[in-house]
Amino acid sequence: MRSLRRGRPVVAARRRMSAAFDAAVTTVAILAGLALSAFILVVAGVPAEELANEFIVNTLTDADNLRAVLAQAAPLAFVGVGAALAFRVRFWNLGLEGQMIAGSVAATAIALADVGPPVWRLFLMLVAAMAAGMAWALVPALLKLRLGVNEVISSLLLNYVALNFLLHLLYGSWKDPVDAFPHSPAFDPFERLPDLGWGLNAALPLVAAAAVFAAWLLGRSRAGFYMRFVHANPSVALAKGLPVAALVLTAVLLSGGYAALAGVCLSVGQEGRLTQAFFAGYGFSGILIAFLARNNALAAVVVAFLVAVLFVSGQSLQVFYQIPFAMVRLIEAIVIISAAASEFFLRYQVRWLR
Amino acid sequence: MMEFLIAWWANVPEAAAAYALAALGLLLCERSGVLNLTAEGLMLVGAMAAMGAALQIEGYPGMALVVGMLAAALVSLLFALLVVTLRVNQVIAGLAIVFFCQGFTQLLGVMFDWQNHPVPGLLPVRIPLLADMPIIGRVLFEQNGVVYLIVPIFFAVQWVLHQTRAGLRLRSVGENPEAADAAGVSVPLVRFGAIVAGSALIGLAGGLLSVGGVKMWFPDMAGGRGWIAVALVIFARWQPWRALAGAVLFGCIESLVPRIAAAGIRVPQYFMLMTPYVITLVVMAWTAWKGRSRSSEPGALGQPFSREERR
Amino acid sequence: MTVTTAAPALALSGVSKRFDGFPALDGAHFSVREGEVHALLGENGAGKSSLMNVAAGLYLPDEGEVRVDGVVRRFSGPLEAAACRIGMVHQHYKLVRALSVAENVMLAAMAVESQSAGGDRSADKVGTTASRAALRTSYGSRLARIRALIDDHAARLGFSIDHRRAVHTLSVAEQQRVEILKALVTGARILILDEPTAVLTDEEATRLLQTMRTLAAAGAAVVLVTHRLRDVREHADRVTVMRAGRTVAECDPRATSTAELTELIVGAAAPAVTRKAAAPGVARLAIRNLTCRRHDGFEVLANLSLKVRSGEIYGVAGVGGNGQTELVEALLGIEPPVSGEVIIDGVGDIAMASPAARQSIGVAAIPADRYRLALAGTLPIADNYGVTRVASGAYGSVLWVDFRRMREEAAAGVREFDVQGVRRIEQPAGLLSGGNAQKLVIAREFASAPWLVVAHSPSRGLDVRACADVQRRLIDAREAGAAVLLVSEDLEEVLLLADRIGVMSRGRLVAEFDAPVDRQRIGEAMVDHA
Repeated sequence: MRSLRRGRPVVAARRRMSAAFDAAVTTVAILAGLALSAFILVVAGVPAEELANEFIVNTLTDADNLRAVLAQAAPLAFVGVGAALAFRVRFWNLGLEGQMIAGSVAATAIALADVGPPVWRLFLMLVAAMAAGMAWALVPALLKLRLGVNEVISSLLLNYVALNFLLHLLYGSWKDPVDAFPHSPAFDPFERLPDLGWGLNAALPLVAAAAVFAAWLLGRSRAGFYMRFVHANPSVALAKGLPVAALVLTAVLLSGGYAALAGVCLSVGQEGRLTQAFFAGYGFSGILIAFLARNNALAAVVVAFLVAVLFVSGQSLQVFYQIPFAMVRLIEAIVIISAAASEFFLRYQVRWLR
Repeated sequence: MMEFLIAWWANVPEAAAAYALAALGLLLCERSGVLNLTAEGLMLVGAMAAMGAALQIEGYPGMALVVGMLAAALVSLLFALLVVTLRVNQVIAGLAIVFFCQGFTQLLGVMFDWQNHPVPGLLPVRIPLLADMPIIGRVLFEQNGVVYLIVPIFFAVQWVLHQTRAGLRLRSVGENPEAADAAGVSVPLVRFGAIVAGSALIGLAGGLLSVGGVKMWFPDMAGGRGWIAVALVIFARWQPWRALAGAVLFGCIESLVPRIAAAGIRVPQYFMLMTPYVITLVVMAWTAWKGRSRSSEPGALGQPFSREERR
Repeated sequence: MTVTTAAPALALSGVSKRFDGFPALDGAHFSVREGEVHALLGENGAGKSSLMNVAAGLYLPDEGEVRVDGVVRRFSGPLEAAACRIGMVHQHYKLVRALSVAENVMLAAMAVESQSAGGDRSADKVGTTASRAALRTSYGSRLARIRALIDDHAARLGFSIDHRRAVHTLSVAEQQRVEILKALVTGARILILDEPTAVLTDEEATRLLQTMRTLAAAGAAVVLVTHRLRDVREHADRVTVMRAGRTVAECDPRATSTAELTELIVGAAAPAVTRKAAAPGVARLAIRNLTCRRHDGFEVLANLSLKVRSGEIYGVAGVGGNGQTELVEALLGIEPPVSGEVIIDGVGDIAMASPAARQSIGVAAIPADRYRLALAGTLPIADNYGVTRVASGAYGSVLWVDFRRMREEAAAGVREFDVQGVRRIEQPAGLLSGGNAQKLVIAREFASAPWLVVAHSPSRGLDVRACADVQRRLIDAREAGAAVLLVSEDLEEVLLLADRIGVMSRGRLVAEFDAPVDRQRIGEAMVDHA
């Protein structure tokens, strides 16, 4: 019983913490997560001495791989910043993949129906994609604001709805007549994100602008200042007369729009057509990025770059060592678990009583 | 028409059983105040582990299911460590565990090459006499063993919650952990117990999907059923009876979809596959609209407990 | 009263306890005998509750000892105290609201049984065997036994309580009875009640105190922690007075005059507030027939009307829970009323306006629940200071918030209103102590000269100095011509500050008085309608 024990650990909230301590703990946690992942990779058959080579040297020094990383970073940054926007108003937008699908479906519809003159086509596609992503995000947002329906479940379920709708199109009217595969016909060159040279397309400047905009909105605008209160204490925000519903709606819609643009980076930017699984894994990556970046838009871009390194390394592991790409998902999950667990040490301190 | 209905209804109990098991498991966990989003992941773990066991030890599907339960319970220890001991945000922890399980099961399943290997799995058990009854016989008394197990499991959950000291502790922890703590109940211990026990049921639901239902394994085979189960618990307002009724409803919808296709009715296939999710959304919205008060929710759901130490 | 030579039932001596270096108890002592009701008297923050928390095993003392029946005990938790048959009814009830009365008592009983059955130093061997036996019986029969015990104790004390009802359907007074029953069913012989009458009407309080007499007559030792002199004078056998963590006196309440007791409690004479005579002007706030309902349809405010003029403080007195919170929340737009008008001079009726629509009116709001309605504890002091004035453009435009100016003004405001404990203006507001957090709220709300002030229990939980500061600010606002509505459950505060006083009971304004007013008459109005 309690009285027999030689004391017990007591957990108390940490009153103060320094930024340096915060950074150190988080870094250690992420490194621990990566170390565990490395161990799993070794067990799975990747030679230990090759790991560093695969992950760092090859991806960052090889021009092709670096290009791949940069290309991969753009959609990841979009979903990451998008997730961060929603999290800033305490809205768990887990429907990022559904919003990616909705956006790309809308963009593809514009392209397939040849709406507007070719010069304006791409612009119209982007606008349509954002509008569709926002509309898809609007559903859980309204359900939450109006009826109090838990957005975690509603936004997630909409992913499955979007996915089935996508499959309905790809196996139905949008099936490519050329090869009869379940993907849409290829877009015309002017319907794709333009190349900027060195094998990179316009996704990068687009995402840079979007991240700067989000950083301004969250960090500098009056709406962003109010969002801090919505995040920190919604009841105080309401009592102080802040337009809470409008703020939530703004952030969530933007989040949906950003997710749609992430989808566009992949479908309109990289693949050049609408495919079955272009979105797979990005939803969780967005949550991971926002979480590790502490919902900071600019930090999200940096984290997105690191996750892109992981993605590209994962692809080469798949090619060279037949490691399923699911490994990337597992590594992401391990990293987020260790980072989340480490927050305990940031928020609490453990003392031994008696 | 009758033939269609019977063929449909005969498939309902098994589909409903997976929802019922997952929902009862979640309910147990959430009544202790832990918001559990891990169901989708734990079902995958249960499904994979049960299939792995079924492929290794052929002919003992019951053992395979037990392995599935144990595997899910084991993974849930990690979840419990995160949300109970380390007080991680329960949404983040739940999601992380789901993605962990998705990655993990896919990796293992593919590496061990358990994909698309059919097994005999659970066979239907005919209950003598009862199974000979018209219609009801085929619908209710020619099911696999786990379906019958739902009845004792349901009453066990109900009994544990309301007729035992453990259940009283569990409910008090879920409603007011501070008061339970003051009454000497170990909040972490009760929550660990509830998470592990509930997750074993979720693992059984997963095992039922692979070993009982399609009798093989493929990645991401839970296909969102775990999320539906989470929603089910919300609109069951954390009451076992309602959860069971909801499970039957979703069992009906899920087994209707392939029946309609088989009957040659021309409905766009993917729209049919969408229905469970759309209906879940509609039911959630409707429940929210109807019962505006959230009084039935366990008082401390989703809130980590930390004793205020002023000693 | 029987004079015994035996050791007192509970005795604490030389008890000291520090929290974060601040001494809450400083060599305090206290003892209670069987068969007596012993009052522990003192101001808020005098250390009464801390001392009793030591007795109940909640706090571990830094120094000093606890003796039960003459035996030194060292409790490492409340359950060990319970095993020594010490039961405490806290100010904030530790009940599980969704469970029934019987289940709540059962939960407590289970805890004590397992403690006595397993603990190696429990009070007596007989209890141990009995507990083991209780643990072995089935849940159903144990619950039936508990129900019988509840009815039994309730009948003896003259309570009427339905053990099947869920606790959240009970009134505050009934919930208190459940707490008492919990202690009694688990075998408490030393019963400590922390401020039990604070939440009760006078009638309920009298009944409770009579019940405590009954208990004491049956041999229990009852400790009554209170700051109400009246409770003590009429119902206690002995009284111990505490001040600033020390025990200052132990005496017979009947042999001690009120003036003497008051002086023992407050030390020097109570600080008087100086102020000018009221010079009321136009009615800035007029409430007409305001009616509010709870979700279950219960009318929490019924046809309430009152007027607050510029240059006056209108005090709303009443026992807590009679609609004060609802009145304030309706005025701030948090819970809209069902009907009625809230007319602001020069603006019109805002009864149905949302908080957002009210922002421009500039009502200075000092709500009772700071961290629910006023401050975001995790955000910086500067943000909390700036949030009300951002919309007016004081800190930059919609597109660019001037955080530097916000920080500078926050720093100035914090200095002007003497908010202590601010190391950096960026530190989270939640790190401030209660009094300083309240001063921060006032600094923000009074940043531009206040015009209409709505304050709800503004000095609740504050130490004497902070309390005086806060009250001074309200007087200053009044003297500068503001209309002040002061809703407070602390009658002293209302009497001290208000120019006119309305008494609330059951959601109605049952009486109105002009200051100075005889407290006896207000007291009567407060309980007449109960």
